[in-house]
Amino acid sequence: MIRVALRGIRAHLVRFLLSVLAVTLGVAFVAGTFALRTMLGSTFTDIVATTTLGDAYVRGAHEAASVTGSLGSASRTLVPLDLVPALERVDGVELVLPDLQGPAVLVGADGTAVQSTQAPSFALAYDPRDPALALVAGHAPRGPDEVALESATLASSGLALGGPAQVVLAGEVRDVRVVGEVGLGSALAGATVVFVDTSTATQLFAPDGEVPSIGVYAGDGVSEDELVDRLAPVVGSDAEAVTGEQVRAETTASIDRVLGFITTFLLVFAGISLFVGAFIIANTFSMWVRQRTRELALLRAVGASPLQVFASIVLQAVVVGLVGAACGVLAGLGLVVVLRRVLAGLGMELTGRIPLDGFTVLVSVLIGTLVSVAAAAVPARRAALVPPVEALRDEVTVPERSLRRRAAVGVVLLVLGVGCVGLAMARPGSDHAGALLGYGAAGVVLGVLAVSPVLARSVLRVLGAVLLPLRPVGRLARGNVTRNPRRTANTAGALLIGMALVGASAVIASTAQASTRAIVSQEATADFVLRAPPSSNVPTQALDDVRALPDVRAADAFANAALLVDGSSTAVSGIDPGAAGRSIDVESVAGELGPALASGQVAVQRTSAEDHGWSVGDRVTLAGERGSRTAVIGAVIDSPAFGVPLVVPESLLDSLVPAAQQQVLTVFVTVVPGASLATVREQLTATVRPYVVVTVMDPDEFVSELSDQVDRVLVILYALLGLSVVIAVLGIVNTLALSVIERTREIGLLRAVGLGRFQLAATITAESVLTALFGTVVGLAVGVALAATLPTVFADVGLRTLAVPWSSLLAMLGLAIVVGVLAAVGPAVRAARLAVLEAVSTD
Amino acid sequence: MPPSVVASARDLVKVYGQGPTAVRALDGVDVDLVRGELTAIMGASGSGKSTLMHCLAGLDRPTSGSVVVDGEPVSEMSERRLTTLRRTRVGFVFQAYNLVPTLTALENITLPLDIARRPVDTDHLDLVVRTLGLTDRLGHRPAELSGGQQQRVACARALVARPAVVFADEPTGNLDSTSAAEVLGFLRRSVDELGQSVVMVTHDATSAGYAHRVLFLADGRVVDELRAPTRAAVLDRLGALTGGPRERDG
Repeated sequence: MIRVALRGIRAHLVRFLLSVLAVTLGVAFVAGTFALRTMLGSTFTDIVATTTLGDAYVRGAHEAASVTGSLGSASRTLVPLDLVPALERVDGVELVLPDLQGPAVLVGADGTAVQSTQAPSFALAYDPRDPALALVAGHAPRGPDEVALESATLASSGLALGGPAQVVLAGEVRDVRVVGEVGLGSALAGATVVFVDTSTATQLFAPDGEVPSIGVYAGDGVSEDELVDRLAPVVGSDAEAVTGEQVRAETTASIDRVLGFITTFLLVFAGISLFVGAFIIANTFSMWVRQRTRELALLRAVGASPLQVFASIVLQAVVVGLVGAACGVLAGLGLVVVLRRVLAGLGMELTGRIPLDGFTVLVSVLIGTLVSVAAAAVPARRAALVPPVEALRDEVTVPERSLRRRAAVGVVLLVLGVGCVGLAMARPGSDHAGALLGYGAAGVVLGVLAVSPVLARSVLRVLGAVLLPLRPVGRLARGNVTRNPRRTANTAGALLIGMALVGASAVIASTAQASTRAIVSQEATADFVLRAPPSSNVPTQALDDVRALPDVRAADAFANAALLVDGSSTAVSGIDPGAAGRSIDVESVAGELGPALASGQVAVQRTSAEDHGWSVGDRVTLAGERGSRTAVIGAVIDSPAFGVPLVVPESLLDSLVPAAQQQVLTVFVTVVPGASLATVREQLTATVRPYVVVTVMDPDEFVSELSDQVDRVLVILYALLGLSVVIAVLGIVNTLALSVIERTREIGLLRAVGLGRFQLAATITAESVLTALFGTVVGLAVGVALAATLPTVFADVGLRTLAVPWSSLLAMLGLAIVVGVLAAVGPAVRAARLAVLEAVSTD
Repeated sequence: MPPSVVASARDLVKVYGQGPTAVRALDGVDVDLVRGELTAIMGASGSGKSTLMHCLAGLDRPTSGSVVVDGEPVSEMSERRLTTLRRTRVGFVFQAYNLVPTLTALENITLPLDIARRPVDTDHLDLVVRTLGLTDRLGHRPAELSGGQQQRVACARALVARPAVVFADEPTGNLDSTSAAEVLGFLRRSVDELGQSVVMVTHDATSAGYAHRVLFLADGRVVDELRAPTRAAVLDRLGALTGGPRERDG
């Protein structure tokens, strides 16, 4: 039986080729994700290993908030620099290095900020004794007007050693000279690193004499544990000493956590691709079984048991899965190598190790094989149940099995799915709303997939009616797609899933954009907006300069940070109390935002207040790097513009979080009455120009910038979903190609009675387009319908205005036609090339 | 070619393969098929009878020699013109798988007209359908028809476009004797009553008995001819050709 199975594959290699390709694409995605994760992980682990060399670290005794720092480490309360002399006196301590670093913007030779992708840009103290640093060229920075640059930073900045440069450090623009090149010993993933001398760094990054941590290096023969034991009595109760090993482990663990999110996100899409690929495999095998009914019956007639027949088909699926997965692993690896090149080209250097381990290979191959076997199981079962008597029948007629059972299952799933969605919509505030919506969406999609053969018949009759005037092409094509609705539906199923996701994403994106627009136009009353790109900051000096302009009435910065609020990490915004009513107009549920902040109280969002049971007058404990305070809730607001649960006066935030840990990306500027907006804009632009990263926008531009961010996310989503659409196209190609083989005789007959080659090709193309349109129409309908429930379920997070991007959806329909035509090219050419005589005399 | 000849072949040679393994399926065939007659082509397996029909119908290209159908030089035609020829001048009935399974009987019958975008002559259609006894079967799909009914639908399809000539390749090969008699009887009536020309390849003497004229092929040549045959006469000639009378020589 094994021989029969393997011969079967060899004899029909081409038929299995697209199945193999489907597995390959899905597995490539999986393997690529794992390899990317390994590569990113080892890059960051390298950075940790080469930069965190201390034998022990002294750090704050309390966690401030689980906000992630530049390398993903949990932030803690600060430790005083005063500890340094005491630490140096401890027996066995060779070197003590306080962690002196802060955000920096380096202006490159082209006058723009040196920054690649989203990587951080920061300044470090250069201490010649620091074992992590190696001076490559020039000399160490020796005063406030000298800097050294990390090698990759120097290369990408285009600046010359010994030449002038501008740096924005701690919010101030400085004219400096590049005096040295420093190596950090690992690929830095695109981070921009500027070195300043220790005293300048202390002045800039530890103005209050406090730093996040102090590294301690032991002399020979002192172990990390011994060192920690000796340090413990010295550090006092507000600080703790931990081993370097522990810090490295904690940092690596938090990096793994972040990468875990990315991996999960990517694996979801890989999973979708594999799910879609499974349709192709299932279709291929069921068509194969259908065509080979007589052969299978013969095997049964000569004594093969149903189990043997089943096993022979499963074996073929295993071969398809193994071959596909093997190719997929290689393709995934290639994908990551290409990605690394591209990222390196963008200035994001990643580690050079080959990111492939046994685990990745094993998991990828296992997944590919399992998906393949699972997809082939149903056709294999059907094959096993072929009665031996079929071998004797003259003409093999495969009766169309009833769709009733499948439809019933589908209806049940649909009802359950719609029920869950309904529940989610009925109780949008509840904790389970999101999960309910998720289950409901899954139920609806699976239900639609199950009933799609029934839908196919009616939908395709309608869609196909358009083609009827094109006789005989239209009638033939419509007949062919409705002849076996199960197959048509399964073929279109892959595209259906992809298009449901595309439709939902498109609706979510345009809803998000429309909601943002509505929120900004409702709540923002500023005349101008200053913006800094993510992972940078609006420098404090720029703020001061802007405030000094005579026509500027106020510049209200939104400082974001994370605090422990009653013990749990919470994002907060700090604002000038005067901003309420000046540059923002926020709807208050209880109390008033402005007066509350002005009297040192805090404001909470309505949703958070409901979650925590807070109301006006309650007390909350806020803890940051600088310590903790108790504050009174003075207002409950309902403002999606503040995307954070808690709004505090900026003075309170400053007392809890050092300026270096606050992020200011947005500043609302209001002008004095009567000032010319055009003039002010010019002044603003001129003022912020030296700070390079800051842009001036009016509220409309601000909205479109926010929309652009949504668009960028959408592009990534489309790219990730693109693969499942590509696989879906392969599925259509596959089914068409197989059905051309299956219908060879019929095609010969049509040609014999005078159907031209072009007409034949047109018929097959029309079938393909009808199938693609069916999948797209149903998929988009499902996706749009599900996404349309979001504004009801997620009004709290700011998705309030439903917007359906009809033009994008229409474009998708156009795309479906293109997809259909492309998918038909191969099979149509093949069919047109069939010699009439051979076709009519095929068995 | 005189007007009474609907299809003719001159010095027709068809060689399959090359070198020492080459097979001369047709070895210089000259035939004239008469308009308004049912001509049967008979011969043993490998005698070249199917190849002759395929070349006459433009389904296969001869190695040398010429074929003329209804005044058109088939052997010189491009694929495009052959397609047009099949649409307009030629009808086919195959041994099996004659019908498009997704179309109803009626749609199958009018398929050649649909393809050629020609209007359906309803009177003629009615006549053909009535003659074949298919009136109450028109809405059925092929899968719902018996083998004999399917072949009758195929005959109706071949005739409805009024082709110059209908080529039938073992049209009763898959049928029981009753159904076969029905189909053959109809083919003969279509010649006698509708003036159709039909060429039929068969190896069955009973089928050949329905023809006006029987051509006997052996080793790629026309070796004999019989007019107004009877089953006995056909068997007699076959016996003379193959060295002994046989009911079937498949």
